[in-house]
Amino acid sequence: MLSKKKTVLLIDDNEVDLKINSKIIEISNLFEEIVLCQSAEAGLTYIHQNMADELRLPDFILLDIQMPDMDGFDFLKQFNKLPTRFTDKCLVAILSSTLDFGDIQRAQANPFVIKLLKKPLFAKELKDLLFQYAV
Amino acid sequence: MNTPLVRVLYIDDEENNLNAFKASFRRQYEIYTAISAADGLKILENISIHVILADQKMPGITGVEFFKSITYSFPDPVRILLTGYTDIEALADAINHGDIYRYITKPWNDLELHNSIKNAYDAYKAKIDLRNKVAELEKTNDELNRFIYSISHELRAPLVSVMGIVNLVKMESLFHSSGEYWGLIETCSNKLDYYIQKTLQYYKNNKTISEHSSIDFHKLIRELIDLYSYSDKETDFHVKIDQTEPFYGDSFRIEVILGNLISNAIKYQKEDATDKRVDIVISVNQAEAEISISDNGMGILNEHLEKIFTQFFKSKVNHGSGLGLFIVKEALNKIDGNIAVSSNIAEGTTFKITIPNVK
Repeated sequence: MLSKKKTVLLIDDNEVDLKINSKIIEISNLFEEIVLCQSAEAGLTYIHQNMADELRLPDFILLDIQMPDMDGFDFLKQFNKLPTRFTDKCLVAILSSTLDFGDIQRAQANPFVIKLLKKPLFAKELKDLLFQYAV
Repeated sequence: MNTPLVRVLYIDDEENNLNAFKASFRRQYEIYTAISAADGLKILENISIHVILADQKMPGITGVEFFKSITYSFPDPVRILLTGYTDIEALADAINHGDIYRYITKPWNDLELHNSIKNAYDAYKAKIDLRNKVAELEKTNDELNRFIYSISHELRAPLVSVMGIVNLVKMESLFHSSGEYWGLIETCSNKLDYYIQKTLQYYKNNKTISEHSSIDFHKLIRELIDLYSYSDKETDFHVKIDQTEPFYGDSFRIEVILGNLISNAIKYQKEDATDKRVDIVISVNQAEAEISISDNGMGILNEHLEKIFTQFFKSKVNHGSGLGLFIVKEALNKIDGNIAVSSNIAEGTTFKITIPNVK
């Protein structure tokens, strides 16, 4: 584990939030590699393209819920179909500004989602979560 | 006033009656006549009729039977039964099964019949208007729901981005780089976010139907304290929960109620106090959960105690929106809970609530 660079994949249709959150992760040194995708489709494409390249595959995904076309829940459905050698190792947390009770419950009920983080993202919260799951 | 033409269908096996009716009323109504129930049905299928008159005694089918047969296929037209007999059985049957508006004996009196048709049309209109209003309300309701959903996303998302930027500014040690401007932006953003959250809670409480699920108070209180003490680490929480029975209730509203009370207990502490403390005691039995939340904060003036649950009541200490306790009270009303408050300036405030265990 130690030899490999830690990679996080941020999926969010909001360009500003992508910029803010990647900066927060960069400053707090939580990951070596930060991959930004502006849609769920782009996120899946990235994963598929690098399926053979262990080094570039994300160890952790921060996923937005409300996105046009394919939303966070749709992404998780596709994520479920990926090879388990990848999904077993890659953790997913939701990062959303939603206050919708239904969305929150659905996110928390999803077996792949380890936590629902609320925007704005706080470095400490993310750090605690990563520590808890030993990412 | 331009009154719309009333469309009347008259079904009678006696041609003379049909002609007499036409002769008397053709200037007042748009008249359709049918010599049999089957013919009448054909007209109903093609024309949107407002008022149906049917003779009771027809070969093969009575007027009441005819009305019964169209209960579901043509529920809207208002029915009037015409009969030559004062047949008490037909009358009872008509009232009980035919959904009949008037019962008129033959030979009819023109004026009486005219008034009956007029009233029947009013009844028709009222029925349709009511239905349109219901549809309109459903649409408005639907739009409001979507509006609430879009507030919780579209309106709040950019605000949360701003809060994220402020957070980043702090991480990059730029917070004090422009005098107090960043601090002011932070205060305003937090305030706006608070208003959005409270507004949403209020509307959601009004609209959401109660859904019952099992509630673990240990877990819930831990989560709420984590959430609200995030910005204030000075307050000491003492939690005592006695829950051996399973508890079922509306988890959304219970979260709203306890969340608002816990956040208030933190918010209305004495500013310079060093022993800030909040006690939460919960005991659950088969019938209800009793919850008490006490703080040793600034307390509530006696003359304010009655007003704290009203909308937009604010204390002089200007933190609140005047919505928190109002929402607590509204949410408790929805789930048949109760709240009592005792407070004094020296010792702080205690809220005691009971929430029924619905199982």
